[in-house]
Amino acid sequence: LSHVMATTFFRSIFWVLPLLLVLSPVNSSSCAMGNKTTIHAKYKNILIHDINELVNMSAEYRDRCCKNKKHENSKVFFCNDTQEIESLQSMACNMLRFFHKQKISKDYRRKAALVSCGTLQVLECKCERHKKEKVCTQVNTHNTDTGSEQSKNKCNQEFCELKENISSLRSCWNKFEKISR
Amino acid sequence: MAVHAAFLVSTLLLLCGMGPCLAAAHSPSGVECVLFNEEYMTCMWGSRETLTANYSLYYWYENRSPVVECKHYLQDQGVSIGCYFNQSEIIQFQPFRVLINASLGSRTLKFLSKPMELQDLVKPEAPVNLTIRNMSSNQLQLTWTSPYPKAQCLEHAVKYKSNKDTNWMEHQVKGDIFSFPSVDYEKYYTFYVRSKINSYCGRTQLWSEWSVPVVWGSNSTSKEEQLHWFWIHTVLIPIASCLLLLVLVVLLVRMERVWVILMPRIPNPSKNFDELFITHNGNFQEWAGVPKDVVESFRPNYSENICYVSELPPKDSCEPLWESGNYSPSVMPGTPAAPREHSPYKNSYVGL
Repeated sequence: LSHVMATTFFRSIFWVLPLLLVLSPVNSSSCAMGNKTTIHAKYKNILIHDINELVNMSAEYRDRCCKNKKHENSKVFFCNDTQEIESLQSMACNMLRFFHKQKISKDYRRKAALVSCGTLQVLECKCERHKKEKVCTQVNTHNTDTGSEQSKNKCNQEFCELKENISSLRSCWNKFEKISR
Repeated sequence: MAVHAAFLVSTLLLLCGMGPCLAAAHSPSGVECVLFNEEYMTCMWGSRETLTANYSLYYWYENRSPVVECKHYLQDQGVSIGCYFNQSEIIQFQPFRVLINASLGSRTLKFLSKPMELQDLVKPEAPVNLTIRNMSSNQLQLTWTSPYPKAQCLEHAVKYKSNKDTNWMEHQVKGDIFSFPSVDYEKYYTFYVRSKINSYCGRTQLWSEWSVPVVWGSNSTSKEEQLHWFWIHTVLIPIASCLLLLVLVVLLVRMERVWVILMPRIPNPSKNFDELFITHNGNFQEWAGVPKDVVESFRPNYSENICYVSELPPKDSCEPLWESGNYSPSVMPGTPAAPREHSPYKNSYVGL
């Protein structure tokens, strides 16, 4: 009887494991696939203004040290065809790590974090490392550390990488607006 | 925003010594790429007047495609000045780079552009089918359509003025409808529209050309007014000008007072000299009243007659001492005795 019970037990759970394998996606998307019309509306009415301000801020800082530099994390800056939302999520999450970089101007990194958090909110996405969401809480409560203020004349590699990240994010949003409607 | 890609001198200069010289003499000033309505693209690097070398263009999309040479060059009198890209060769939202080879004889120079985002270089076609509708309460509504396929990526500008205005008014419009709030039915309006990619889909300052205009206003009124102005300008004004001129000429001829004011007589001094020439026969001295002796003195071969003046000796006075014989005239020492012979100048003096 015990043998029969054991056999029955394993038979009953035998299909569970394959089912779990089939149902669990290889790359689980941490974005809720919301209504695209809503996303477009929020982008055009709210987020675009912060993005434009951030891009204008980027132009005020000297970027002589940024010319002809290839960054290690350059794959993050691609906006893949038919995967604009995932690319935007990747870019926004990557941008959040610059929030604590002391070599970058406080206002600039705060604005960049605001845009990142706004992007994630509009797309209803999360980052793989949940610690990054703490940044959004800090940004939304206007709680920023008293980091050193970067002079507009100083240029460093972290600033260059952030600037390229911002430019890619803007372009990816343009692509999303242009192609996905 | 028209992107004027800056050229960087590449580290692939083949001959460093002559590189700068060749660059200074023959380098293109920059390449300008424009996507026309996302149907085709041209990248221009100069004109026939500024370029002298042979140019070839190579392009690629970063991390995507291999380097490809331009398949369709644009030429001006045998010199390549640009490259034409058809729609299949255009990929937006991918960094696009261009390399230009400038060769003169055996020497070659390479120019590498900065990465370009082609979605920021789109120039849409001008709007078409402009239509005006009368709405209630003196309101006009202007609508149009655009040949550009993605209407959500366009913003527009409307330019208008009436026949009574001197300056154009311009308004930015996000959709494809423009409402003109209060129209004057006695005026004649003209409207133009142009388009640009908005900030949602790109970052460019390239406006399209202005559309074909549309007009609004009473056609008959405008034609009558035009005919009215035609008669005034071509008939009435010339006739009035001619009549005025004729009147002025008649006045000038008939009224000497007017003639004298406009054409004052030139003074003729000859009458003042009639007496000189008629009465005195050109004798200026006589006419001027110059005394005769003064006139005589001015003659070149003037000679004066000597006037002899003699003094007669007195009759009742003492006899001269030398005639009595008792007294011999004293002779002053040193003074020679006067000769006793007669001279014509005896007891005479010359009087002038």
